[in-house]
Amino acid sequence: MNSATPGIERIFSWSSLDPKSRVVILVSILLICSIPHSSGQETITGWNEAESWTDHDLNAAVIHGERVWAFGDSGIVRFSEDSGVTWQNHTNLGDVDLISADSYQNSIAVLSADGIIYMKEDLESDWITIDSSQTGMKSIALAGEDSLIIVGNAGLIWQYADETWWNRTTSFTANLHDVDFNGAEDGLAVGGSGTILATDDGGSTWDYRESPDPDSTIVSVSYFNPYRMFAVSDSGQIIYSTSPGGFEWQLREIESAGYNTTLATNLSSIDVVSSSRILFTGPDGYLGLSLDQGLNVERNILPVGVNSSFNDHAMFDFVIGIVVGDSGVILFTDRAGENKDIGFEIPDYNNFGEFVEYADDMLLDGFIATVKIVIFGIMFGFIIGVILAMLKTAPTSFKNLLERYSTKQIKGIGTICLVFGLWLIYSGLRRFPELQLNGIEYIFTPVGDPRGFAMFGLGIAVSLVSTQFILADEKLTGPLFKIRPLNSLATVYTDFFRNTPLIVQFMFIHFGLRLGMRIQQVMEGTFGDPGIDGIDYFFYGDRTFLSAIFTLGLNSGAYQCETIRGAIAAIPSGQMEAGRSIGLTYMGTMRLVIMPQAIRICIPPIGNEMVNLVLNSSLAMVIGYSELSRQGRLMIATTFQIFSAWGLVMISYFVVTWTLALLLRRLEEKTKIPGLGISGGA
Amino acid sequence: MVDVVLSIRDLHKIYPGGVHAVKGVSFDVHEGESVAVIGSSGSGKSTVLRCINRLIEPTEGAIELRGEQINTPSANVNEVRSRIGMVFQSFELFSHLKVLDNVTLGLRYVRGMSKSEAEEVALDVLKRVDMLERIEAYPGNLSGGQKQRVAIARALAMKPEVILFDEPTSALDPELIGSVLQTIRGLSDEGMTMVIVTHEINFARDVADRIVYLDQGKVAEEGPSSIINQPKTERLQRFLSSMHEEST
Repeated sequence: MNSATPGIERIFSWSSLDPKSRVVILVSILLICSIPHSSGQETITGWNEAESWTDHDLNAAVIHGERVWAFGDSGIVRFSEDSGVTWQNHTNLGDVDLISADSYQNSIAVLSADGIIYMKEDLESDWITIDSSQTGMKSIALAGEDSLIIVGNAGLIWQYADETWWNRTTSFTANLHDVDFNGAEDGLAVGGSGTILATDDGGSTWDYRESPDPDSTIVSVSYFNPYRMFAVSDSGQIIYSTSPGGFEWQLREIESAGYNTTLATNLSSIDVVSSSRILFTGPDGYLGLSLDQGLNVERNILPVGVNSSFNDHAMFDFVIGIVVGDSGVILFTDRAGENKDIGFEIPDYNNFGEFVEYADDMLLDGFIATVKIVIFGIMFGFIIGVILAMLKTAPTSFKNLLERYSTKQIKGIGTICLVFGLWLIYSGLRRFPELQLNGIEYIFTPVGDPRGFAMFGLGIAVSLVSTQFILADEKLTGPLFKIRPLNSLATVYTDFFRNTPLIVQFMFIHFGLRLGMRIQQVMEGTFGDPGIDGIDYFFYGDRTFLSAIFTLGLNSGAYQCETIRGAIAAIPSGQMEAGRSIGLTYMGTMRLVIMPQAIRICIPPIGNEMVNLVLNSSLAMVIGYSELSRQGRLMIATTFQIFSAWGLVMISYFVVTWTLALLLRRLEEKTKIPGLGISGGA
Repeated sequence: MVDVVLSIRDLHKIYPGGVHAVKGVSFDVHEGESVAVIGSSGSGKSTVLRCINRLIEPTEGAIELRGEQINTPSANVNEVRSRIGMVFQSFELFSHLKVLDNVTLGLRYVRGMSKSEAEEVALDVLKRVDMLERIEAYPGNLSGGQKQRVAIARALAMKPEVILFDEPTSALDPELIGSVLQTIRGLSDEGMTMVIVTHEINFARDVADRIVYLDQGKVAEEGPSSIINQPKTERLQRFLSSMHEEST
């Protein structure tokens, strides 16, 4: 046996739509999707390719005075005197791969794979050869003009000073991959197993620093200044230290990689060129640039045809420099490799297309924000409205509540309440002088001391009612017994919200009571930090949002209450009697019999109220909630297109309210009760 | 001696406006008995009936259901009402529910039955009132007589100890009255205890085991249904003749 339970059926379902409606919907969706998205902008590379006159891999690059040097496999050496635009050959330094280079003031040193070091102590002097007799060395650094540090496999550290080699190897024997000095004293060496070693005496002694990830292999380090030290691992991690001396190292959570701790590439070197700007190299044509200390890393677009692995940067300053890589690739830039936007021009907002291009995102944000508060506001307002309407229609009076007690008990309750009421009056009154008001100024007490005033007012009410209790007779005939406390409570509420302007309520609740902030704090305490994205942020990340839905809901609830109350009054009294006569409780009859009918009756006026709520939501702009109206004003602030901006905003509102009205009309049809309403033809 | 199901003792009702509608009415209803309460308009018939299941709180007096006083503040009014069925003059079906759901509502939410159990009971009582064909209809699509029979089914489904009929046929067209009266007569034959407030003198005489005649808030005459044919008091005589004049 199929029978409908009391409840609301599904309002919209694809299967219930007639074929015509389906076609209209599908065609509309197709049309909207097929509107071409025009973009007037194109992004191109910030790098230029230079001719290096070699196919050998270039491993190291270094600035030396006005020159920039590049060193590569088989002793290849190239230099440029015009910031890397044109390159000249230089006599090979040996025939072994040159793997690392460094400069300090006028000195420059190059390390070859067989442990030979080539050095110039002056800009114009000749290369001299120093043999370290070590193999497996990986990186060289100059600590002052005449001190060399080389590091390599098995944790080896050798220092060349006073024309003598000193073994500075520590007890840490992981392979070391890079060493870098800031000045002559402070240096860092990094390597496998997350090894970080630091020196503050020019490389004579090295101390271990704890790494945030002991499993990673740190391949490159850059000691920019005592507060900015960065390193990268071959798994794409960025680690950094901002503590003087590099005592504490942390793993960067990279925003542009979705708060991951790794870029999805194996990095090979890092260069810090300013206090915020960092350049990265990696295999397969990876060049990265961060403008904010590694929080966001953008991959450089490369010139067409370049896809080598890159090995080293050499930067004259924070924008001009070169990068070298495998197969003799040398690129130069005057913008740190940052991608260039071309086709960018000052938009002409008088052109409606360009205006829309600027405004559509803002409009969409505003639209979503408006729909968001409207949905929550409607739900909240409706719940409050129903509750208030039930309170207002509740027939429970003091007489009903007290009937089951004997007169003696009622007098007892009355006495206790009277004492409490008088105490409330006394406590309230005692607070007032603290406000230091004079005479007539005491009318401002409700604002000056809300708690005191509430105590005073409540005290008077309690005292009056309890006096009536004490004077109670057998039949409870006194006038105050007829008071319906739930009704009174709801009346105070609705009177307050219906007799004050909504815009003032918004400001009072958000700025005065700071309701949004308080709710957010409670939510943070319960569910943790909302972050800046995701579901938590959606619900309580924005305190203006919280204030807005509560204000709208509380306000709309007061109006909806009266509408629903009217609908309840329109239900024949016999319905309640019938429900009660089969044994249902008052609340049961309300829920199962009265409310289902009343809500159906009040769909049109409630719909009115909901449309009002949508339109009233525009007032949320006064507390800074970025709904449609506020977005409209922001659009105008940039574009000065007043007609277009407000026009779009107005249409957006229309779309929201019209859809809402459509939904409600549909709901009304679906829930229509046979036998009610007009019939009998036109 | 048959059990007394319902006992009304010295019932008074003074409305808030000061109208003294019922002035000390007392009578008993026995198991399986149908009592017809008759009287002219304003004689307090409906007030007495509504006082019985406390839709109106009596000002004074006692109402006992199986010897237990039910008009005290401590009595569970909802439990009491679920044992007393009530059929209204204007039907008062729940217009947003289908016929079947009208009947099952009390079973499910008062008796706590499951949906299928409740429907089983409901179909049974709907069969008794001959409304099985219209269980999927909404009340708005039923005729007056059908509505009243559904209302009777709704009261019957709760298996009440006594059913109160508040002028069950006064809102019906003359040709529809028959089916409703037929249904009530059937219930009477099955031994249902009933209190019927009615204007249908002939029906009262045919169905009721006993007649209570109210006049100006008091029991003016009480006796077996034969008092309709041989009224003892002059007032009942006058009332009956006025009814007779009306119907001719």
